[in-house]
Amino acid sequence: MQDLLMNLTFIERGVVAGVIIALICPVVGAFLLVRRVSIISESLSHITLTGISAGVLLGSTTIWFTDINPMYAGLAFAVAGSLLIEKLRDIYKHFQELAIPIILSAGVGLSAIFMSLSKSGYTEWYMYLFGSIVSVTRDDLVFIIITAIVVLIMVVLFYKEFISISFDQEYATVSGISVRLMNQIFAVLVAFVIAMSMKVVGILLVGAMVVLPVATSIHVAKSFKQVVGYGVGFAQLAMLSGIYFSYQFSIATGGMIVVMGLLQLIVVMMTKKVVLKWQGRDIREH
Amino acid sequence: MLEAFFRYEFLQNAFYAGIMIGLLAPMLGVFLVVRRLSLIADALSHITLSGIAASLLLGKHFAFFQGLNPLYMGMVFSVGGALLIEQLRSVYQYYKEIAIPIILSAGIGLGVVFISLADGFNNDLFNYLFGSVIAVTRSDLWTIIGVTVMVLIVLIMFYKELFFLSFDEEQAVVSGLNRKIVHFIFIVMVALVIAASMRIVGILLVSSLMTLPVAAAMRFARGFKQMFVYSILFGEISVIGGLIAAYQLDLAPGGTIVILAVFILIVSIFIDKLKGGLSFTWKRTKQTPAE
Repeated sequence: MQDLLMNLTFIERGVVAGVIIALICPVVGAFLLVRRVSIISESLSHITLTGISAGVLLGSTTIWFTDINPMYAGLAFAVAGSLLIEKLRDIYKHFQELAIPIILSAGVGLSAIFMSLSKSGYTEWYMYLFGSIVSVTRDDLVFIIITAIVVLIMVVLFYKEFISISFDQEYATVSGISVRLMNQIFAVLVAFVIAMSMKVVGILLVGAMVVLPVATSIHVAKSFKQVVGYGVGFAQLAMLSGIYFSYQFSIATGGMIVVMGLLQLIVVMMTKKVVLKWQGRDIREH
Repeated sequence: MLEAFFRYEFLQNAFYAGIMIGLLAPMLGVFLVVRRLSLIADALSHITLSGIAASLLLGKHFAFFQGLNPLYMGMVFSVGGALLIEQLRSVYQYYKEIAIPIILSAGIGLGVVFISLADGFNNDLFNYLFGSVIAVTRSDLWTIIGVTVMVLIVLIMFYKELFFLSFDEEQAVVSGLNRKIVHFIFIVMVALVIAASMRIVGILLVSSLMTLPVAAAMRFARGFKQMFVYSILFGEISVIGGLIAAYQLDLAPGGTIVILAVFILIVSIFIDKLKGGLSFTWKRTKQTPAE
């Protein structure tokens, strides 16, 4: 395993990372969708940006942090942000949706300041913001694999609990599941997913990877499992075709992946409309 | 500081533009927050980015677009995005809220592809993303003045309708208010203000200027009118303070403005909690003799 990882070329590393990300994102995305909180991924990704910029800033100004991958700082911020959102939801009881813009703004605001403080080149920032497949290092790949395994284990372990708090919170409370604890575990999970996808897709586009595939699959799926299953399929298709086209036309990887995901969504929505119309005509004719 | 202000035109531009934005953004923000649409501002600002990127790309290939201020294309895109959101909400009947993340992702995704095609990953883009003190030109200033005047007039004209729609949508519709048209006018105003604020605050931070001052004002205000006053006050403080800090410390103004707004919000939550705790104990002591 270790040898195999070492021998990959930079483009292979990118593709492997992409496939892993496209596997994990829709799984978590499906839960976010049915819990109606898909926007959380957006705000957590912006908080992750703060962590990254803080990591880079510390790395360039102090000695102790130079060896640490900024991704770990990003992960730490994302986890803290996810817990903070839950807290803010408590404070703004009547306007719960305000918690998200607040975290989002605070995250981007701080990172804008850190970025202008650290004076490192723009290209490096663009890499984090919009993703770049060629910049996935061995360390990053190891980080991605480890977080992916952690997320998968958590989802398998808590699958029943997540399902029941997603679909019937009252029932979950009655049957003794701590909704609060589960919410927190889930928020941390989302933070993990965002930190790991960031390098390939880019911070501003992670949310798209979480949302678009499941938004597509919900048009065709008939059950929750199918939402997850088709979602993974759509995500893989978008990821691989996006990587291919971005390589062919030398366009930022993240952007191309998201545009491919978008195309899928539009195609699926159109076909469904056409199919429904056809069926409607059938019924009328008979 | 003052001397520099009078000497450099760009500082004056940024300052005047800042004052107008500090007024407009929180004012519309009040309606956004009360109508629970605060996330729409985020989606629209991201779609504005793809408009600007498209304008940069077209400017590379067609002479006509070169002379055009990218702001206009941004405005067109954000109005288009607003209409699309409404459309998507009707497609996803059970999961209406997903329309916003979809548009948000679409905006950024398209924007990145356009920028890539235009080879635009440079300093300019950074200014669009996080704002800049020196980027406001005279023509931008005129555009912003135009938007301010227009939005103010529309807001005064439609204040009653918007107020009605914000607090009792059903009643408003029953009493003959055309919800669709009023909502459309409102969203167009939001799109315009986002495009106007973008130069100074930056695309990624425009929505913060609309929601943060309002969130802080909600802690104090005892009525809808007071909410306006407090929101605008907080908005102006953060914009002007943020601009000065950005100029002095050589930082991105979007960042300093938003961090000031976040700071005001934290202080107001804290004060409110302190007060809330006090009034709570006061109420209890008052209640006990009655029992």
